[in-house]
Amino acid sequence: MSANLTRWLERSLHNCHATQSRTALRLFSGQQQQQQQQQQEVEEDEEFRVLNLRAVKKQVAARREIKRDPVPPPRSNRMAVDQDWTAAWPGPRSFHPASVPLPLRQGYTERGAAAPSKFANAELMKIPNFLHLTPPAIRQQCEAIKQFCTPWPKGLETEEKCKHHFPVEVVTTDFCHSLPTIRNPEARRVTVSLKLSELKFDAHAKDKFLRLVGERYNQETDVLTIVADRCPMRKQNYDYALYLLTACYHESFITEPWEETKSEADMEVYHFERNKAKLSAEAILNWNEAAGETKVAPSQGYAKSVEQLINEGENEYNIAKYKKEVLKMLNIPVAN
Amino acid sequence: MNFLKKLAPQMVAVAEAQTCSKSAIHTSAVCCRVQSGRYRITTKRNRPLTYEMANPPHYIGHRKSWNSWNTSTIKDGLRPSQTAIEDVFLRKFMTGTWHAMICSEVIIKRQHNTIRIAAIIRQAISARKMYFLIGYTEELLSYWMQCPVTLELQTVADKKDVVFKYI
Repeated sequence: MSANLTRWLERSLHNCHATQSRTALRLFSGQQQQQQQQQQEVEEDEEFRVLNLRAVKKQVAARREIKRDPVPPPRSNRMAVDQDWTAAWPGPRSFHPASVPLPLRQGYTERGAAAPSKFANAELMKIPNFLHLTPPAIRQQCEAIKQFCTPWPKGLETEEKCKHHFPVEVVTTDFCHSLPTIRNPEARRVTVSLKLSELKFDAHAKDKFLRLVGERYNQETDVLTIVADRCPMRKQNYDYALYLLTACYHESFITEPWEETKSEADMEVYHFERNKAKLSAEAILNWNEAAGETKVAPSQGYAKSVEQLINEGENEYNIAKYKKEVLKMLNIPVAN
Repeated sequence: MNFLKKLAPQMVAVAEAQTCSKSAIHTSAVCCRVQSGRYRITTKRNRPLTYEMANPPHYIGHRKSWNSWNTSTIKDGLRPSQTAIEDVFLRKFMTGTWHAMICSEVIIKRQHNTIRIAAIIRQAISARKMYFLIGYTEELLSYWMQCPVTLELQTVADKKDVVFKYI
């Protein structure tokens, strides 16, 4: 079966070739007739013609011209001088030379040559432009969003009043970036700060509070700063920071039983009231006094000068003050 | 032992020769050579260069600016590698879609979640086809990048319009 088929195919192919050659012959004869006609025409014209022995070349078909729509001139040529620029450039957009009626140039050239013009200038397209944020545009947008604004609260006109009514300052950071995500792990950080003078303390509570907050208190500026970043969300960190502040404040007012056992060696500063200096001064002042009479206490100035001398260390000023106080307490006239 | 003693000076000589040859020939790659982004001068001085090509990479930030604008490249920026890979893909897609029509570098600017792609295009096809290609590119890229993509094209009549100089 297959052999039969192939034979039939071959035969049909052969037939095909034969028909082609026959048509070619017919064509050839047709050309001859045309040539004879042309020769006759030449004789009639009586002019020299180029003898073309080969088959006359057919005329090459003219290349089809690509129809192009005429490119209109740049839009900036037709712009009115007093046009509404906010309508021509409403939003952020890369620079387009045909839309901006400014003779801009950008680019570095050798000395003396003009910088590349705005047309076909990729540098101008790269740099961010603020053509959509002209002063009139900003004014327009401000007018538009004015209806959503509320008046400034009364009593908070100045910075001092704000500080007085809202002593706690909370600082957070928002991040804008050019990414598909709006999250940034750094945005969770919350910094709560307030002046310690805003809180009410007694001596024990303040001492304990300062011990609890440790390095978070800045002695020079009297500002307590709590930074919270251990939770993943900002809200959690804010709550935690405020909890820390509250807990420390209330904890500082509690006196634990073991706090009573604080001895003189544990004291962080020298207190005149608790020390031998007070007893010695009293002994000197009440020399030869009978028991039962009112005792003379050393003056406040003396107490302060002793405390200063020991807490701050010996320096010229403290020693001089101490000397003055001692002389005053013992009623010794100063010999100038 | 005697044999070794006899051999010793020869060994030393051989060793010295080896050390000499090692120090004389430097076989590792030349690290100081920088070629990227720099173009050779041709003998006929007919190689066209755009402004971007005419300034080698060390002029970035001085004579020319960056082709990709995003916040991943700043210090502690997020997902720098993903952004770089996406930019490569965007560039490849642009040059393939606008085949033989882009005369400049493809400039990719990212703002928040939008991507703006700017380029200089040759006016080789009709405006109608160009509008189709703009829509096609924006649609496909915004689908892949999962964010709005805007094409901001500038057209030039001829490729020679962007040529800055010939070297």
